[in-house]
Amino acid sequence: MNDYENMSDEQLVQLSLEDQDCFYYLMKRYDIKILRYIKRLTTISQEEAEDIIQEVFIKVYRNLNGFNRKLKFSSWIYRIAHNEIINQYRKTKLRLAMIPSNIEDQANLIDSINDTIEINGAYENLEKDERVRKALAELPDKYREILVLRYLEDKSYDEISDILRKPPGTVATQINRAKTSFKKIAGRHQLNTGIVK
Amino acid sequence: MADISKDILQKIKKDEVRPYPKQYFLLKRSVIWTVFGLSILFGSIACAVAIFQLRYAEWDLYKHLSHRPLEFALLVIPFFWLIFLLGFTGFAFYNFRRTEQGYRYRTLWVILGSIAISVIGGGIFYATGLSERLETAFEHNVPFYRDLQERKQRVCMSPGRGLLAGKIVEIISEQKMQIEDLQGNIWVIDINDTIWKGRLIPAQNLKIKIIGEMKGQNRFVANEIRPWKGCRGQGRNRTRLLQLECDS
Repeated sequence: MNDYENMSDEQLVQLSLEDQDCFYYLMKRYDIKILRYIKRLTTISQEEAEDIIQEVFIKVYRNLNGFNRKLKFSSWIYRIAHNEIINQYRKTKLRLAMIPSNIEDQANLIDSINDTIEINGAYENLEKDERVRKALAELPDKYREILVLRYLEDKSYDEISDILRKPPGTVATQINRAKTSFKKIAGRHQLNTGIVK
Repeated sequence: MADISKDILQKIKKDEVRPYPKQYFLLKRSVIWTVFGLSILFGSIACAVAIFQLRYAEWDLYKHLSHRPLEFALLVIPFFWLIFLLGFTGFAFYNFRRTEQGYRYRTLWVILGSIAISVIGGGIFYATGLSERLETAFEHNVPFYRDLQERKQRVCMSPGRGLLAGKIVEIISEQKMQIEDLQGNIWVIDINDTIWKGRLIPAQNLKIKIIGEMKGQNRFVANEIRPWKGCRGQGRNRTRLLQLECDS
């Protein structure tokens, strides 16, 4: 077990192709992260999220030989998870989250946005957070997802580019637009904002 | 939380799930790159014919026509081939985006790059004479394209402004010949002081364009006679083209 823990994802991919059991250690590295990512983007139950993650890992296993080693494995698995969420959304019209459903996630996202978007005005913290939460709920899905990847999953622009299959420049633009869009919506919720960066 | 990874591994084993072979991905990538390459190739061919048509467009006929400059330009611009070029560029873009790293490039650069490669390819095809052969083949084998070209040529029917087009019916003498214009009217043409452009050899059924002056009812003095398709094809395909024009 210790040996596997010290291996890189790429080494584990290679070993998984030779020995099915090694795939367990690869899944173990990502199961919590991917499950959390699915739940951050949807409002589905734990069981439904587990069904999706099962599909994700089976797809990952089937496509191991197609893994492009120029990519980070984590970007690749997030991409497959992203595609699976979209597939499920189209197939079953699963509910995409209006905002991250987890209270802690909400707080993190609000904190991240507060760090990059200066919110002026003398609001009590709770009142401000509630207004930010409402503003976030009105953001288009694509902006919300990019904010989740950037601020909750802590992905770099290049990684987001690989996950969403969009040019890095477009990712940067969309993050800026997400912030601008947020700023406009925030205005409607009587939040005075200024973008810091 | 239960060990979900363990459950999934068991399912993989139970369902005997196997990774797709490497060859499957190799084939998939090859198909995408091949379709991309073919899109660029066809785009280049479309571009080659467009270059050819623009190169031999008879811009100087404008003064004999009653069209406005924009209308004339719209008649001369080879939209048919440019639409093909854009279509294949779109197809090339779609396939490039599906390559492993294709998504990393901006849409505008991919489209401009594809067009640039098609233009370079088109220039090479044009230089080899392929575009001329292809256009002729299209005219003879694709009725829609033939109709389109003929509709464009009909603007050459403007005898009052010194422009006439039609088919030689009879060469009466060295000074006179008879033609049937595009509307089926018979004209007697004075060819005494006529310049025959494009190495034309007068022959029955040869389609021509005449620049000159109308001298009364169905009489026309020709200053210049040009091949039906303009003064193009001075090179290798000239004889064949004239033969085809006479045949049709």
